[in-house]
Amino acid sequence: MKERIFLLITILTLSFAGYSQSNHTISGYVKEKLNGEELIGVNIIVGGFTGTVTNEYGFYSITVPHGIYNLKVSYLGFKPIDREVDLTQDIKIDFELEEDNYELEEVQVTSSKQKQTASVRSTEMSVVQLSSKTVKRLPITLGEPDVIRSLQLLPGVSSVNDAATGFNVRGGSADQNLVLLDDGPIYNASHIFGFFSVFNSNAIKDVKLYKGGIPAIYGGRLSSVLDVKQREGNIKDFSGEVGIGTIAANLLLEGPIAKKENGEGKGSFMLAGRRTYADLFTGLVEDLDGTTANFYDLNLKANYNLNEKNRIFLSGYFGRDRFELESFLGTVWGNATGTLRWTSILNEKLFLQTSAIYSNYDYNLDNLRSGSEFTWSSNIVNYILKPRLSWYINSNNTLRTGIDFTYYDFNPGEIGAIEGSSINPQQFQEKRAIETAAYVDFKQNLSDKFSFQYGIRVSNFNRIGQDNVLQYETGNPLTYNAVQDIWEENEVIGTESFSSGESIENFYGFEPRFSARYLVNDDTSLKFSYNRNYQYIHLISNTTSPTPLDIWAPSGQYLEPQYADQFALGYFKSLKDGEYDFNVEAYYKEMYDVTDFIDGADLLFTENIETQVVQGDARAYGLELQLSKNRGDLTGWLSYTLARSERQILGINNNEYYPSNNDQLHELNLVGMYKLNSRWDFSANWIFGSGRPVTFPTSRYSQNGLVVGDYQNRNGDRLPAYHRLDVAATLNPKKGRKGKWIFSIANLYNRLNAASIYFNEVSEVNDVEVATGETQATRLAFFGIVPSVMYQFKF
Amino acid sequence: MKRFFLLITAIAFLTSCETDVTDEITLNGETPRLVMEGGIERNTTNPVSAQRIFLTTTIGFLDEVQSQPVEDAIVSINDGQSDYLFTHTEDGIYLNAEIPAELNRTYTITITWNCETYVGSDSLNEVAEFDDVYSEFEEETLITEEGYFVKFDSTDPVNIENYYYYRAFRNGEFIIIPDPGNSTTLVESDEFFDGQQRFGVNPNEEVIYELGDSAVVQQLGISEEYHDYLLQLFEQTGNQIPIIGNPPPASIRSNIVNTTVPSNRILGFFYAADVEEESLIITE
Repeated sequence: MKERIFLLITILTLSFAGYSQSNHTISGYVKEKLNGEELIGVNIIVGGFTGTVTNEYGFYSITVPHGIYNLKVSYLGFKPIDREVDLTQDIKIDFELEEDNYELEEVQVTSSKQKQTASVRSTEMSVVQLSSKTVKRLPITLGEPDVIRSLQLLPGVSSVNDAATGFNVRGGSADQNLVLLDDGPIYNASHIFGFFSVFNSNAIKDVKLYKGGIPAIYGGRLSSVLDVKQREGNIKDFSGEVGIGTIAANLLLEGPIAKKENGEGKGSFMLAGRRTYADLFTGLVEDLDGTTANFYDLNLKANYNLNEKNRIFLSGYFGRDRFELESFLGTVWGNATGTLRWTSILNEKLFLQTSAIYSNYDYNLDNLRSGSEFTWSSNIVNYILKPRLSWYINSNNTLRTGIDFTYYDFNPGEIGAIEGSSINPQQFQEKRAIETAAYVDFKQNLSDKFSFQYGIRVSNFNRIGQDNVLQYETGNPLTYNAVQDIWEENEVIGTESFSSGESIENFYGFEPRFSARYLVNDDTSLKFSYNRNYQYIHLISNTTSPTPLDIWAPSGQYLEPQYADQFALGYFKSLKDGEYDFNVEAYYKEMYDVTDFIDGADLLFTENIETQVVQGDARAYGLELQLSKNRGDLTGWLSYTLARSERQILGINNNEYYPSNNDQLHELNLVGMYKLNSRWDFSANWIFGSGRPVTFPTSRYSQNGLVVGDYQNRNGDRLPAYHRLDVAATLNPKKGRKGKWIFSIANLYNRLNAASIYFNEVSEVNDVEVATGETQATRLAFFGIVPSVMYQFKF
Repeated sequence: MKRFFLLITAIAFLTSCETDVTDEITLNGETPRLVMEGGIERNTTNPVSAQRIFLTTTIGFLDEVQSQPVEDAIVSINDGQSDYLFTHTEDGIYLNAEIPAELNRTYTITITWNCETYVGSDSLNEVAEFDDVYSEFEEETLITEEGYFVKFDSTDPVNIENYYYYRAFRNGEFIIIPDPGNSTTLVESDEFFDGQQRFGVNPNEEVIYELGDSAVVQQLGISEEYHDYLLQLFEQTGNQIPIIGNPPPASIRSNIVNTTVPSNRILGFFYAADVEEESLIITE
């Protein structure tokens, strides 16, 4: 390992050598002309071949030798700017790009948004980017445009079923995705049992998903990074948008702060709110009286320019879900996150950003059953500080370095009495930890043909007191009995107490990251990437319970951190001058110490999670193909994924590899968007996926008057294939009008896709509940054909 | 309670749909395993005439046949002092009227069948008495139909780990329905109410009585192992709509092991329980 560090340092040093002083730097911001919104990923080409891209704050910096250059600024969907620059000293130029309304809108879903051959030229691979515009043009599945559902139309991204919380990337589980909203972590990215995601498409500017080749600036999760950026808000005029859909209504307000003479604010704000209609289901069906199911969320972002070089940003998200059943149960859960960020241009080559983040995911369950009423609440709080320095060394070298500090406070559960019930209050042991990671990420263009991005991330996870850790008889909570093929719980022999701040267990992770690109010719490239990621927290999720009970458990004495190695190889091709993009990627991912439930695990209100889960290894591999059409009346893509995701854990499935819940051999997505004229847009997508794994019973017997199934292999059977067609039509306003209609039909041919097939005893005869002793198999489909309509009005 | 789960699916956009696909499914079978039901019960209110063990074998989950009783096994139970041989009467039922059911004893069962031996044990723990048993009329709610329910008050002993299992009988018939609520209603640990008096506990929300019905309620003191077993049993049998199998269904392990061929596991639990019982006639 030491050798590798040495090699890396040598490469770094060598690449700085030979860099001469007769160079000058051009730097500045690129914004949207209409509202002053910073544009991310704008391509800036100097003199025809040297180029850079704006960062997540719309900032760019490029250093080239003394001379006269033609500067070209281009961004998909915007009119390009050409300007001649006589470079005799360092200069600062801000650009404003105007949206191109005359040309047909181009689909913004390529590996990057630079220019036509962006996916070919970029060093990044395994990256997908979606703009809020594209999300809004795709057919709506369930009443609301949804970022995460849209991402699932791309290769390598899927979900276990229509109502599963979260999404899966390249065979990884849902908790292995780092979901960031303006740098703040979101622990549960879904509303109402996973039918919707927490991202309000009106408040979102840009979504970027790293499936592999994850740069060193990100860490803490194994499989992916979903980086979601909120809009900054209109810096020029006060404006707003109202949307009324079949499920929810939303409102967006934005405008300048402290307007100056030039008509621009010193800052701007954006406030977006969304709420499902109050108690949507009540009254629709008589049975549903007394039921409440709703959610709302609020997004806020504000920024202020202290001076030319310093800006501060404040962004926040607050979301709540409520689900109540009269005199049975009530649950409330949600995320709250707030980020305060300061960006500073230290000089034309150094850009410093510092974020301070607070995040809280909490979950509350009230059991309202007579005789044993109680309330149970749990939460996970994070305090994060992330300073990062970007150094635009020259046109061929960019370095980013920084440190991420995270303080975790896990409150796994607190039980209290309600309504005077005789429940003893109880507090599960709180758990605390500090995660620290330092990283260096280096982008380097070695020659016209070769470019690299590499770095290291060194992470540390320190579980600290105050804590009382249970001690088990053999030193472990569970022992595997090979004769009976069963995990046996060990006796607790005492507790070990740790005082406040005392280290309980300390873990280190060395995480090298590497990506390389070789440009075969102007429209063809080959890419390779490798990354190792560590994850110190584990999601123990009990989705068979009626409510989404998520327990995050930190690594410690009985739970090892999980880590993964991923290799990916890609072939990128641009056809017809960028009208089409074709790419193929193959990946292999090995995951270690992933958690799974022991057979017969019981999680509800279980304090000692370590007695219910075991750790083992997993592997995922696959091939992803995508052909995109980027220009013309018809745009869209066709993608195909061939993949496997398997686990091997002692004591599960006779110790043999078994398919992960998200394993799916074939997945095909066909997405088309067609612009008929200035008023009508159409879109459609067809999805096909081969059957997901499921565990069917092998036999039955009777016990206590009930019919019980017996099971042999975990996930040994398959559901039928999943497919559906969604279509949408958008009626854009006439000139001078502002209202827009979106009509959508999900699952047009009403395919009843099996979310599950379950086996049970027939328990109802002529509307009377009774144990019959007879058995049946039932297919559950979540939705058939779902029409929806949405009206949007801008002011 | 089943209605509650239907609700959840209804909320899944009022368009979710369940279809009987029994005829389209072919399951992988397995070689039949031995299945046992029964245990030792200490009932001071209404003592059992004989302790009972029932042996059968497994059949395919969707088979439309009855399982075959096992009539040629040798069943004996040791109470820590002597062995008691159980005699086969008919249809896989083995009885013994001599074995005493006493508190704080560990009972060990030994079954020999097809040249293989199965051994397992459980302990008999004292159960708390009822303070009061009564019936109440309740209006229809989300989870339950309207009608009369039998409820009880009971005081949990202080500083002792207790595990309970409730049984309800209507007009002499034991009633249990494969319902999602079973796992939260029929079995309970005193973890959150240790030493407290509880009021209005409904032993089975699915059992509704009419005026004039005779009702019997039992509170069983059971071992932690049997509690965990029943919890899994009720979760698996009651989970009508597994939104997604996580934790996935798995074979529920017996407390009896096959000492001859360990992988040829037996199914079912051998329990020992103390039974508190009360009966009443439903009146206004």
